[in-house]
Amino acid sequence: MIVHINHLSLKGKSAKKSPLGELTSLVTGKLVDLVEDGQLDARLAPSLRIHLDWIQYKTNFRDPVIVRRTTDASGRSLALAEVAIDLRQCQAEMLPQQLADAARLISPNAVGDGRFYLTEYRPFRDCIIWDFNRLFWRHLGEWEAASGRGFEAALPSGSSDANRPDAVKESVEEFWSLLKDLETKNQLPPELPILEIGVGAGTRAAAFIDLFQEYDAQRGTSYYDKLQFILGDYSPDTLARACASLGRHKSHIVPAPLDALNPFKALPQYRFKVLYVHLTNVYDNLPFDDLIRRDGKLYLVEVRAYFSAASVATLQADFGLGPADIPSAMKTLLAGGPHAVFPGDEEKGVAFWRAFWDCFKLEERLRALDDRDESHVPPGLTWAHLQDLLDEAPEDVRFHISRGAAESFANTLPLLHPRGYLQVQDIFVEDMDEYRKGFKGPGKLDGSLVVWVNGALLRAVSARAGYDVHFRPFTYRPGSKTSVMYTTQKP
Amino acid sequence: MKLPILPTTVIGSYSMPEWLERAKNDYLSRRLSRRDLDEMHDAVRKAAIKDQEAAGIDIVTDGELQRDNMIDYFTERLPGVNVDLGSKRFYYDFYETQVRSKLATGSLGLTEEVRFLRKYSDHPAKISVSGPHTLVKRIRNNFYPGEPEFALDLGRALNFELKELARAGATELQIDEPYYSGFPEDLPWAVKAINAAVDGVDAHVTLHICYGNRYGKPSFEGSYRYLFPTILDAKVHALSLEFARRGEEDIQLFKEFKAPFMLGLGVIDVKTQEIEPPALVADRIRRALEIVPAERLVINPDCGCVHLPRDVAFNKLAAMVEGTKMVRAELGK
Repeated sequence: MIVHINHLSLKGKSAKKSPLGELTSLVTGKLVDLVEDGQLDARLAPSLRIHLDWIQYKTNFRDPVIVRRTTDASGRSLALAEVAIDLRQCQAEMLPQQLADAARLISPNAVGDGRFYLTEYRPFRDCIIWDFNRLFWRHLGEWEAASGRGFEAALPSGSSDANRPDAVKESVEEFWSLLKDLETKNQLPPELPILEIGVGAGTRAAAFIDLFQEYDAQRGTSYYDKLQFILGDYSPDTLARACASLGRHKSHIVPAPLDALNPFKALPQYRFKVLYVHLTNVYDNLPFDDLIRRDGKLYLVEVRAYFSAASVATLQADFGLGPADIPSAMKTLLAGGPHAVFPGDEEKGVAFWRAFWDCFKLEERLRALDDRDESHVPPGLTWAHLQDLLDEAPEDVRFHISRGAAESFANTLPLLHPRGYLQVQDIFVEDMDEYRKGFKGPGKLDGSLVVWVNGALLRAVSARAGYDVHFRPFTYRPGSKTSVMYTTQKP
Repeated sequence: MKLPILPTTVIGSYSMPEWLERAKNDYLSRRLSRRDLDEMHDAVRKAAIKDQEAAGIDIVTDGELQRDNMIDYFTERLPGVNVDLGSKRFYYDFYETQVRSKLATGSLGLTEEVRFLRKYSDHPAKISVSGPHTLVKRIRNNFYPGEPEFALDLGRALNFELKELARAGATELQIDEPYYSGFPEDLPWAVKAINAAVDGVDAHVTLHICYGNRYGKPSFEGSYRYLFPTILDAKVHALSLEFARRGEEDIQLFKEFKAPFMLGLGVIDVKTQEIEPPALVADRIRRALEIVPAERLVINPDCGCVHLPRDVAFNKLAAMVEGTKMVRAELGK
């Protein structure tokens, strides 16, 4: 049995003892009992991997104890199996039974007791969690009305890091300094484009331009006159709202409906012209995959959504929907929004949506990857990028392929002026070794998804494209887990 | 072979296959022998020559695919430049290099390229070298009092090689200086270094000045206005400049200043994979002809094709040739 401790909190001698040691003993002891009792195949025990995690998100997609089985590339079962335990959720008194249940599930043909499956196995990138994520952003107002709080209140800081005045001020100073340097070298372009991707209500853009205008006037430069602030967002409504809030700078605003995955496609006329691109908390909400390396082999994590028997009973009791009704209710919800589920009773529709999102979990399995199967490599990347990443990764590791972030990143770089820079505020895993030391998502954040971004992957992508990436902590909010990623052309 | 009016050529490099990139990286990590890599290099160089010929290019190169990049190929060969061979893992990155004593005079071994081209092509052929200013910007100087002195001595070292190339039969030589555009203030001493490099060289010498093409993107932006009038002192026969990506506005500089050079007109944007229609190429040439007479124009891409996929590179060159032929026909040549 191989025990992976994926979370360690070093508290020192004086601090309160963590339950980790106790729980670990309980887990291994119980598993040995199960082998001795014949409830766990003794032949599997030596290669069985036990993962002890600590899932930081209070609402997430995992049960306290789960089993991951393995298949080959064509879906045939393999002997390798894993048991993963979320130490944050599990309770000592429940653990023996949960482990016994898990032992039963290790068998290739086992089916979870009373589980109601919503989908087949598929990679994270194609999972229905993304349909729910889109639903959330489309119907944010209804969700907020039901929860009684704005989305930003769900963020760790209670507000968006994008709008922090000291961060905006530093951005303005930095941008102005770049322009001054270009002017000194007689290389100031006739137009000075900035691109913000994901504009929200336009609050950050307004703060930036207001301050830039003031700064410019104080220093007697006339950069503001040449400023073009491109607001990029996929939602026309959001863009319209943001533009309306920037009326005082109207002649400097360029609204650009765009897909964050491919900004270049919407803005080819700005190739090599944009001096500054900024994003906050966009990458952590884009599709990803999880890969696992075990014994030198790579596996893709596939997931299928399910409700436990208890959740099915809750939905039936609260909404009158039996198992047979659930798939069509989900389809209606995702296609038509919460008001379409119970026509005439929007409140009940939203309540159903929230309960549904709250209850469903993801079962995981590992599918062996065919060597050089390009279909799992994000668009714009090659296996060479992944190889660069794996070269620096620990031997046994589970990590994100932040395919949406990588695709967006690769499709933003061609917009950058040679002296331009890309600045991203987000939650990054900066080093592959970090993946061994803590859970990095996905989690549920209100009705949306949150997942850490593989910064090491972006570094590998940028290296092959001629850019340097470096990270620094977001120092404007104490205790923040956000980092700022800077991308500039290699000298 | 007699050259036609509006002769076509390439800047130097041809499409780098991804498998060769992997092989070069394998060589760096000692998973591939020098001999195996050299065999691959020879094969792709022959293919590059044949592709250019098939596309209809008049003055060909060997595609320069044996070069890791435009810096290391020279720093590894320059006597007196100290190279840290462990300082890169990816072939396209640059080695850490420094100069700690006066550069010695000696062959860089580029005459092999002349022999190779003569062996596999009967087209007029061109050999490119990186210029002294570009090399100065990448080699740490721990000996010379300043960049101008270092560049001048590099000019002297390159002069030896350019003469060797001419003696070996090279008739078309090119010096690449992409860094001028990032450091326009250096131009006065950079031109002196060029003149040191070409002094007494018996060949047609082109000076290629672009805005960079590292990783297929520009390193700098701006206008060629900074070149004038200082560049008029350069003792070269032709200037090759990029216009396709940046627009042809700067061609007016050739009207404003009486430039004694031929002009290598960049008509193909090598930073996009879109293939230019021949009609667009023809338009670009026609606009240049309003300023520069046909006898003084050479048609080429903006820069090397190294970052383009092979089919794209080939089709772009073919479109360039086709567009040139359209204009030749209009000129009755």
